[in-house]
Amino acid sequence: MSAPRFFEADGRRMSRATILLLMGPFFALVIFAFLYPLGNLLSISVLEPQPTLEHYQRVVENPVYGRVLMRTLQIALLVGLLSLALSLPVAVLMANSRGPKAILLTACILLPFWSSVLVRTAAWAILLQRNGIINQSLQFVGITDEPIRLLYTQGAVVIAMTHVLMPFMVLPIYGALRNIPGDYVRAASICGAGPLRSFWEVTLPLAMPGILGGFILVFLTALGYFITPALLGSPQEMMIATLISQQMRENLDWPFAAALVGVLTLIVTVITIAFSKVFRFERMLGARV
Amino acid sequence: MPREASLPTNGASIDIRSLEKQFGTVRAVDDVSLTVQAGEFVALLGPSGSGKSTVLMSIAGFERPTAGQIVIDGQDCTRLPPHKRNIGMVFQHYTLFPHLNVADNVAFPLKMRGVPKGERRRQAEAALETVRLAGYGDRMPKQLSGGQQQRVALARAIVYRPRVLLMDEPLSALDKNLREEMQIEIKRLHSELGLTVVFVTHDQGEALTMADRIAILKAGKLQQVSPARELYERPSNLFAASFIGEMNMLPVDWDGNRARLVEGEEIILPRNASIAPVKSGRAVLAVRPERLTYGRAGTDGTWAATVRDVVYAGAGTLIIANLADGTEVRLRVPSAGQHPVSPGDRIGLTCPPEALLLYPEAEA
Repeated sequence: MSAPRFFEADGRRMSRATILLLMGPFFALVIFAFLYPLGNLLSISVLEPQPTLEHYQRVVENPVYGRVLMRTLQIALLVGLLSLALSLPVAVLMANSRGPKAILLTACILLPFWSSVLVRTAAWAILLQRNGIINQSLQFVGITDEPIRLLYTQGAVVIAMTHVLMPFMVLPIYGALRNIPGDYVRAASICGAGPLRSFWEVTLPLAMPGILGGFILVFLTALGYFITPALLGSPQEMMIATLISQQMRENLDWPFAAALVGVLTLIVTVITIAFSKVFRFERMLGARV
Repeated sequence: MPREASLPTNGASIDIRSLEKQFGTVRAVDDVSLTVQAGEFVALLGPSGSGKSTVLMSIAGFERPTAGQIVIDGQDCTRLPPHKRNIGMVFQHYTLFPHLNVADNVAFPLKMRGVPKGERRRQAEAALETVRLAGYGDRMPKQLSGGQQQRVALARAIVYRPRVLLMDEPLSALDKNLREEMQIEIKRLHSELGLTVVFVTHDQGEALTMADRIAILKAGKLQQVSPARELYERPSNLFAASFIGEMNMLPVDWDGNRARLVEGEEIILPRNASIAPVKSGRAVLAVRPERLTYGRAGTDGTWAATVRDVVYAGAGTLIIANLADGTEVRLRVPSAGQHPVSPGDRIGLTCPPEALLLYPEAEA
């Protein structure tokens, strides 16, 4: 009988009991604070007031909800692509920096983690408001004559969410870039590849696990994001999390809110599985290539 | 003379002029000048930190020299980025691109040069054939052994027919048998393709067997550039003498004509025993262990010594002895046909005059 063997970093073996003891609190928390309430909610969606699928039927049949879902997917995709576009140069710069410059850059990326999401979202509300600095600047430069509506738009949501979620994109890409030995870039260069060519042909493919990891992290988080769309978004152009909250708190329609949660969970699960089938997941989470 | 000088050559000459590289307060390369002939195989040899890799990286273009020039085939390349130098290079750790298969790795330099796809495949396959890996194109680098990976790296470095091939300790990650096989392989490629090779190594045996000339570096300074035989038989200074092979270093008093061993015999040296003029006073007499022989103690013209250790090693025997003043002397003699000695025996050492070399006393 050979039980699976587990090793610590220094090669010592841990007994199964130790592992259970160490992992126990984490699993307990996941079960108590995530799986149990989620299961509870999903059971509400099919069991109340009596066993039924009518709530899901409502989600499917009413085109409003389909539009909310599509809009949510679009915004999440946009946020993912935008933060990818903005994060790639930052991560490249970080990976190529040493000493004080590297520390400064890392601090700039991590700084947002030390302030609340609410604060960062509120900051965007201040910037984008009718008499905010952005509107004032636009008028000063002469691009517009009167304040334009920036706040409570999809644009505001996309910008602020990109800002909030960018660190989750930068860090995995940075990690992947740092793991690429410098000799690969040198080899590409001596083979005749200029800086851009070698980035495209060698660095980018080798950093792909980090890029995909960061993208899926940001995309999935954006799908269920609540605070930013709720504070900066337009009530006419709701995202799914805001809709769920509305159904729960304003309409007190828990079974229907639960059905929406069910649909969102299904979408997230399908996307995650699809990604992990196409790209090996452990590589995305920072394991060495 | 380079052995290939008479063959038709495709190589380019490399002219390194007063090269200097400063890292902060450290001078990694200090006024190195070296001319590599077209088609020549030159090894840069030195201990770690001697600057040999920095010299190579400057030729490749990865290091920008603080001063001096790199001229390849008459063209000043000092400020030219690596991708425009048209140089082939093999790195220490293979550095095959892990996301490309073997054929695509080898074809990579051709792709960068805009060679059409079909032509790329054909040339890559031909290059793989040259390194005896025909048919391996579809494999991924990870599926190959270390020696095979390094041969793929070699194919990638020669596929676009560069005129210069640089190698940065390319064999140090391989085990002994593979290393010897690859040494032969690289020599064969060198004479077949006629390209100029600059090879960095810290393995003196490798340098001696492979290179037309060997450049020895120490602390960023060039010590000697010579063909293997000259380097071994007439090293130009004490560092080169001790770095290549084994060398006995015997302190002597030198009066301009004769050397006297401390508390010992007077030795008459041939005029060419000193490579550079040596001032009278304390000096060092250097002699290779395999040039010494021994006979009965007290014979005329021999140096008195006492055997301390005898190490039998099959074909050869190492004898460690002490001179009158205690200086250690090593002898490597054939095991067969020798009068056997044992520790404590008194013996007389002899040496052919042309094997004696005189150097100034080492500077502190």
